[in-house]
Amino acid sequence: MHNTLYPKPSFDQCIKCNACVIDCPVSNVSLDFGGPKHLGPELKRLIENNEYIDDSRIDLCTLCGNCDLSCPENVQVSTLLAFSKEAHAEIAGTKFRDFVLANAETVGKLASVFAPITNLALKMKPVRKIMEGVMGLDSERLFPSYRFKNFNRIYKKKTANTKRKVAYYAGCYATYNAPEIAEAFVKVMEYNGIEVAKPDQKCCGIPMFANGQMKQGKKNAEYNINSFLEYTRQGYDVVVTCTSCTLALKKEYIMYLQSEGAHELARHVYDADEYLRMLHAEGELNTNFAEMNVKAGYYAPCHMKSQGIGNPAMDILSLIPGYEITDVAAGCCGQCGTYGFKKEKQDISLSIGKSMAEAVEEVNADYTVTECGMCKNALDQLTSKKTIHPMIVLAEAYEKAEKRS
Amino acid sequence: MTKLIETDVIVIGGGMTGAGVLRDLAARGVKAVLVERGDLGSGTSTRNHGLLHSGCRYVVRDEDAAIESYHENLILKKTLPGAIDETGGLYVKVPGDDDDYVKLWVEANRKVGIPVEEIPVAKALEMEPFLSKDIEAAFLTPDGALDPFVMVVDIVADAVSRGAKVLTYHKAVKILKSQNRVTGAVVQNSITGEEIEIRAKMVVNSAGPWSGQVASLAEVPLHMINNRGMLVIFAHRFNKHGIFRLRKPGDAEAFIPTRNVTLFGTTGINTDDPDDTSLDRQEMIGMLREGMPLVPKIFEMRLIRAFSGNRPLYQENGADDPSGRNVTRGMALLDHQNRDGLEGFITITGGKLTTFRYMAEKTVDLVCEKLGVSAKCTTHEEVVPHRDAKEFFKTVDMAPAAKNKIRQWAGLRAKSIEETMKKEKVNTPICECEQVTWAEAESVIPENEGFNIEGIRRRTRLGMGPCQGTFCNFRMAAVAVEKGITSAKEASRELYHSVMERKKGMGVVATGETAKQLQMMEAIYRISLGLRQEAEAHV
Ligand SMILES: Cc1cc2nc3c(=O)[nH]c(=O)nc-3n(C[C@H](O)[C@H](O)[C@H](O)COP(=O)(O)OP(=O)(O)OC[C@H]3O[C@@H](n4cnc5c(N)ncnc54)[C@H](O)[C@@H]3O)c2cc1C
Repeated sequence: MHNTLYPKPSFDQCIKCNACVIDCPVSNVSLDFGGPKHLGPELKRLIENNEYIDDSRIDLCTLCGNCDLSCPENVQVSTLLAFSKEAHAEIAGTKFRDFVLANAETVGKLASVFAPITNLALKMKPVRKIMEGVMGLDSERLFPSYRFKNFNRIYKKKTANTKRKVAYYAGCYATYNAPEIAEAFVKVMEYNGIEVAKPDQKCCGIPMFANGQMKQGKKNAEYNINSFLEYTRQGYDVVVTCTSCTLALKKEYIMYLQSEGAHELARHVYDADEYLRMLHAEGELNTNFAEMNVKAGYYAPCHMKSQGIGNPAMDILSLIPGYEITDVAAGCCGQCGTYGFKKEKQDISLSIGKSMAEAVEEVNADYTVTECGMCKNALDQLTSKKTIHPMIVLAEAYEKAEKRS
Repeated sequence: MTKLIETDVIVIGGGMTGAGVLRDLAARGVKAVLVERGDLGSGTSTRNHGLLHSGCRYVVRDEDAAIESYHENLILKKTLPGAIDETGGLYVKVPGDDDDYVKLWVEANRKVGIPVEEIPVAKALEMEPFLSKDIEAAFLTPDGALDPFVMVVDIVADAVSRGAKVLTYHKAVKILKSQNRVTGAVVQNSITGEEIEIRAKMVVNSAGPWSGQVASLAEVPLHMINNRGMLVIFAHRFNKHGIFRLRKPGDAEAFIPTRNVTLFGTTGINTDDPDDTSLDRQEMIGMLREGMPLVPKIFEMRLIRAFSGNRPLYQENGADDPSGRNVTRGMALLDHQNRDGLEGFITITGGKLTTFRYMAEKTVDLVCEKLGVSAKCTTHEEVVPHRDAKEFFKTVDMAPAAKNKIRQWAGLRAKSIEETMKKEKVNTPICECEQVTWAEAESVIPENEGFNIEGIRRRTRLGMGPCQGTFCNFRMAAVAVEKGITSAKEASRELYHSVMERKKGMGVVATGETAKQLQMMEAIYRISLGLRQEAEAHV
């Protein structure tokens, strides 16, 4: 169980040291952004019981959370930024485009019904140009493709009967865009004798928070909290394969809702590799992996770093014999969820991604491992290497070992 | 050879009182020169609570003072809009405080006509979430906040626009007499030591806590009781109304929201030395403890600094008051011709910021009577130009917060600041806490006074936020050197001076975040920039 004692979102502790500005991926590539210190604690102080100041530059924030990590005084900068996004979206009115991007799940549901058509459309130049014109989506950006056989159609198990029981939060990406990740996760759990239930769930809300749709995001949060608490109260552990969703369940719900339920749920939430690492520490992990002669690079998503749990994927994958994994130690990818899909943010997004791409090329591994589907999108576009989710690697290592014996 | 100036009236002391007198003289067409040993308002007038009294604080004890305050409260709201924030007051009764006093208070307010309105406790808590949940009663009052920094500068500027002269950084060192008449004064430039002789028909002593010292230059005995009061500043403006404890007036019972901060205080300890603005941590802690019944979290909230000022109090020993012109117990207008047999010398002291205009009116009435001038006072009607500049900066490319600041602040300087901003790229804040740009700072640097960071601070709020100049003081100094406004040597001296000034106020509150802030400031100024006292030694 985790400790969920996060500091309250206050701005008073800021000593203006600028550490957050130095660590901000956007501030690093653009002078158009006011920076996390100004748009967070500084602005919040100025409007307290004073005239409201609306600063549209808040749109340029990706909510990556690096500011929270760098703050020596524990100011929850990103929480303040998320609330500013909400206020700004209310004042400016949300663009139809941002509404679509914020509602990845609705789009996912719709798109996977028409998956073959959608995918074709998303790749076709003329359609892309129309999207850029009408919706302000960047026509140069690759979009993740949608699957007809989404995970909801494949996997309907609602209960688990083993000693350890997992309630799996799959998230939109593994549900609609890459069900193979979800399937791999279920397999990995099976190899460890753990049954996986998939409770009813909605989008974690991260894209909504990032697009200033705090109300909708909180609604989803409430839904997920209620749905998953029914499981945790029966001894299930909540395990997640997407780092952004994990951060939402572990921390953002607490920061935005400040509710008892959010705290209660967060105590039971694990990133998938973090969970395996815990099993390993308890001597429960099945370590029967086949040898794999691979040199992999690990790219840590910002929302993994924000969890403050190290790099559990590297800890687990390095248990595989012959598997050599190096941290590419790069900053933000620039895709930042829905951010990189927006035309007006293309320059910033691509310049942020540049140093990541260079780091990846420098490590020159066989492929890159990362958990986040959105980072994968940037990695696929900006580097020459393939990108793989750690669960896929693990499932393969287990399967090979099984075949061999 | 000493320079010579001739005028009708010399006003000694550029605090709120002297500023008011100067403006009233100018408005009535009397020639006048104001001399101030430091910067405008560098005495008590910028070392106070900034409360625009409604009178209700004194209503039970002193009806006349209450009526006077309420009257001036209404006039200032109308005539000094740029310096006043009509926050309203909230008087709150906490458990244990006298119920009978509340009754007396309500009745006294009704009698003198100060509008107070009781509101449900729940509503008060909703408006002011930091208030204690235990409060028993709450009343809205017409109190407000006044920004003394803006006030003193704007009143003097208005006087200057009407022909008055001002000599800041000039100290009165001699009062010239011929037999039983004052004929002028000698003033000395505090920076260069140069002297100027000013000849005049009358001298008004408005030197606040220093009034005794100035009177002694004319060999007139005047004993001031200086009462030092301490205040603390919270890092942000956490309340909407001025919050007061509803009980017999005592120490530490008002939280005044002003600009981006809240001031809390105060204490009162008599001191002989008017320059004594020392700070005592025990005194501060005692004060905060007194504040707890109103704001229980007071010890958890970040303080950015403390400061103190001396109330100039004067009490003529009843029967020995031959002038008889003590208008109320609050202010003392002394005609030294009647009192001490010295013609052409008047002292105006006591009172408070809220009543400065009234004090000036009475003083100038007396001056005019003596000079045979028949013009009547107009300051109760004439509006001092507003600070609002909403018509400007619309097309200037700058961050919304900085734009917000300058549009609330530029006043008459708006046009020239806007032009500078459009010409050069000077729209990025130098002081981020308070959003002060170089263009704004530059517009307040006086031409012949040299470079003075404290002066810029008083006129723009530079360095008055939570970081207390950790970043902006050196930026300010560096840009000023770069722009050729000052020399590197003068800039280092100024930098040292203002950093020391900030540190003094921070040191006494320094626990928690402010202790860390102070450490960071030390690291930047001492270690990185190598700022040492030698900079000071060059003076
Ligand atoms: C802690 C505290 C809280 C207060 N709170 C409030 C409040 O909330 N509301 C309110 O209305 N009032 C308040 N007051 C009262 C108010 O601040 C004072 O009454 C007022 O500022 C006095 O102004 P002044 O011009 O008479 O004196 P000062 O402002 O002290 O001005 C005197 C000036 O004379 C100058 N001087 C001295 N000697 C010489 C010389 N030889 N030659 C030239 N110049 C000289 C000094 O440098 C100084 O600037 C408070 C006072 C204190 C101390």
